[in-house]
Amino acid sequence: TTERTSRSERPPRRKALPPRTEKMAVDQDWPSVYPVAAPFKPSAVPLPVRMGYPVKMGVPMAKEGNLELLKIPNFLHLTPVAIKKHCEALKDFCTEWPAALDSDEKCEKHFPIEIDTADYVSAGPSIRNPKARVVTLRVKLSSLNLDDHAKKKLIKLVGERYCKTTDVLTIKTDRCPLKRQNYDYAMYLLTVLYHESWKTEDWEKNKTEADMEEYIWTNSSSEKNILETLLQIKAAEKNPDVTKEELLGTKEIEDYKKCVVSLKNEGDSENTLSQYKDSVKRLLNLT
Amino acid sequence: MQCEESEDGGGSLGSLAEGPLQALPAVDGSVDRDKVAVLQALASTVNRDTTAVPYAFQDDPYLIPTSSVESRSFLLAKKSGENAAKFIINSHPKYFQKDIAEPHIPCLMPECFEPQLEDVSEAALKERIKLRKVKASVDMFDQLLQAGTTVSLETTNSLLDLLCYYGDQEPSAYYNFQQKEKSEELEEATEENTEKSKKRAGHQFGVTWRAKNNAERIFALMPEKNAHSYCTMIRGMVKHRAPVQALNLYAELLNNRLHADVNTFNSLIEATAVMNEKFDEKWNNMLELLKQMVAQKVKPNLQTFNTILKCLRRFYAFGKSPALQTLREMKAIGIEPSLATYHYIIQLFYQHENPPKGSSLVIYDIMNEIVGKKFSPQDPDDDMFFQSAMKVCSFLKDLELAYQVHGLLNTGDNRKFIGPDHRRNFYYSKFFNLLCLMEQIDVTLQWYKDLVPSVFFPHSQTLMDLLQALDVANRLDMVPQVWKDSKEYGHAFRSDLKEEILMLMARDPQPAEVVLIKPVSSSDCAAFQLQEAFADCAADIRSTFESQDARQMAPQWPASALNCTAVLFLRAGRTQDAWKMLGLFRKHNKIPRSELLNEFMDSAKASNSPAQAIEIVQLASAFSLPVCEGLTQRVMADFALSQEQKEALGHLPACDSDSDSSSDSDSDISGGK
Repeated sequence: TTERTSRSERPPRRKALPPRTEKMAVDQDWPSVYPVAAPFKPSAVPLPVRMGYPVKMGVPMAKEGNLELLKIPNFLHLTPVAIKKHCEALKDFCTEWPAALDSDEKCEKHFPIEIDTADYVSAGPSIRNPKARVVTLRVKLSSLNLDDHAKKKLIKLVGERYCKTTDVLTIKTDRCPLKRQNYDYAMYLLTVLYHESWKTEDWEKNKTEADMEEYIWTNSSSEKNILETLLQIKAAEKNPDVTKEELLGTKEIEDYKKCVVSLKNEGDSENTLSQYKDSVKRLLNLT
Repeated sequence: MQCEESEDGGGSLGSLAEGPLQALPAVDGSVDRDKVAVLQALASTVNRDTTAVPYAFQDDPYLIPTSSVESRSFLLAKKSGENAAKFIINSHPKYFQKDIAEPHIPCLMPECFEPQLEDVSEAALKERIKLRKVKASVDMFDQLLQAGTTVSLETTNSLLDLLCYYGDQEPSAYYNFQQKEKSEELEEATEENTEKSKKRAGHQFGVTWRAKNNAERIFALMPEKNAHSYCTMIRGMVKHRAPVQALNLYAELLNNRLHADVNTFNSLIEATAVMNEKFDEKWNNMLELLKQMVAQKVKPNLQTFNTILKCLRRFYAFGKSPALQTLREMKAIGIEPSLATYHYIIQLFYQHENPPKGSSLVIYDIMNEIVGKKFSPQDPDDDMFFQSAMKVCSFLKDLELAYQVHGLLNTGDNRKFIGPDHRRNFYYSKFFNLLCLMEQIDVTLQWYKDLVPSVFFPHSQTLMDLLQALDVANRLDMVPQVWKDSKEYGHAFRSDLKEEILMLMARDPQPAEVVLIKPVSSSDCAAFQLQEAFADCAADIRSTFESQDARQMAPQWPASALNCTAVLFLRAGRTQDAWKMLGLFRKHNKIPRSELLNEFMDSAKASNSPAQAIEIVQLASAFSLPVCEGLTQRVMADFALSQEQKEALGHLPACDSDSDSSSDSDSDISGGK
């Protein structure tokens, strides 16, 4: 067995230095201390930060040895000063924004399609990242040349990908392994959708009322019902000569039609229901 | 890190023929700039962090190295870990075949160091040459010759290259892992020694060319030799210190009407510089060679001139004008001198300088010429320039020149030429020393903050220079800070540094030593705090001495340190600590100074304690100090003593006699009172 050195003979244990925050000047160049994304170093950040759930009658834990501060992403390398410096440096790589494109509408008018791609950088032996192949294509349908039928058909074809409030069609492709292939595929999809929606197939004639996107009053059951009712009323009043066309032409029927359409398309609300009530009353001469 | 791009349109701008958009530039997605240009642009926005150590170290208070020795050992540890990992990977390549790197990184994959081909053929010989197996390739060559196959001239030449490069020795088994820096350190050591020790050192490292070794044998066996074969042999002989044979072979080359290439000529210049004894003979031979070079229409390159200058260095004063001639020739041909060129010239002109004789002004010319230039590495000795330049600046005591040199260092990428650790430390120590001597204290302190510890770790001599500068500029308030830094950089146990610090603090009493009930002004407050700070510092230093004592059995306190510490405690009003110090005098058998004892007497009077006064007198008498008499008188005069105390005083041996005590005592105390 080896001899054990006694406590006093062993070289003294290495002591930790005081943290270098003590040496930092108040007006130092902070982007030099944190030039890139780096984990939080309590000895290099001169802020008295605290984080953590405190025990009873206690305060949150200090920054030394604080795992919570290490877990969260920090943006110490992206202070406004640093970002300004970076932008200045990157100006040389940028071309001028075209002066002719000075408003959003012009941008949309000339460049209606928007493509979103993402590139990923990480520390490691490989530069490939499978998430980088995703391509998102966005276009406003108002900038495409579609008539009513084409638009409805297109919307039916794409389903979930169309947003009604913003009128934007979003196509997200990731089925190909490369970004370029996905981009080509997205453009191909757009082209195909456009051309297909202009064509009218034979079987589209069989569109039933259940397939309709919005409520159309002509040839609907509501029309039939009201006309029958009115004809019966007229017949009861010994006025059988009135024809359907005449009835359809009256103002009350127009009004009623509008109210029904708005009720069915927009749903129930105070406004629509009260309008419907008034129109029915007028129709049946109840006012 | 994730970054997103969003582009407009698919790039088809052909439809935009209408007016306002004709000015749109073509948007091409292709990247026609350097791949790392963006990163370099972003990197240019960042400067050096002045409180951090180099990035290679872990940035944690416990893991930061505190001295240059430690930093070197940390870096070596890191490198040895890498080497160990490489060794494991190369020993068991079958476990490390999976390649996740995209694109492929060859240096991460295991390397194969054993030859694969086993048959006796030229391809197998080529493989062994590629793997640097000297003995195996020689054996293979011999086998091929015995089997009767002729080996092509090219392969034989590459075999000769291998043999001449390694001097017919096997490169060491792990040559892939070794550091190559041993040779330059030894070279530096030899520069300053005489010829004799140079030769001695020369035999310790490097290989000597043995006569009739494999290279010569194979050379003799070759049926046809071309210029390349001769050149390789000549260069090998010069590298392994056989200049005579090299010159003979050169003569043979000329006889065969072949031409040598520029590298061979460079080696020959080196060879001639070693031969002969007289300087002018050597110089004439070198000129001869150059003429032959011109005759053979071989263009000289930078290495030619650098080799000439390197050899001229050894010619002492004789080499000065040839050196300037060489420099002029170089410029005339249009070859841009490198930093190594200037380094050799500096060494030549300033090597054996004595100030009284007057120094050369060539350094100023050099600096005027190269200020603002960005250099790229062209010669292995380029990294010695800054060290020698700073040495000259320090020798000439010229701060402006030093600033010029430092400015050159910070131009472009020139800081890469600072060299390895010890050279960098030397450069910065000399630079800082010059700053302490000649620059104003504020600027010096700014430089101190800037350079330490991010660029170099201060030697204890550097800290002593800083202390002297503070002393001259009357900024003794910074002394506790310097002590703190000394502790941090591992100089806590250097007694000369500690003595200097204590001496500076204790030399003059700081104003306002008395406790102030209500400070009159902030300067009084500051002065009082300064005394306190000094006392704290002294207590700290005392604790380092005590811990040193605990570890080593022999007591280490120097006398002046004890004196200063006691004085500082007294002045700050820490009487208890001060009295403990007094006890230490007797324990360590060191003599207190008389001023110290007088101050103690003052303090005893202030606290009105005759017992303490008597203790002081007893201490003085124990050491038989001449001041004992004066002290005894003071005690008698100022204190109210009891009868036994007076008797005790009277019986003290040293204070009894009146013969050789100080002359200003006018009453005899013989017999006591």
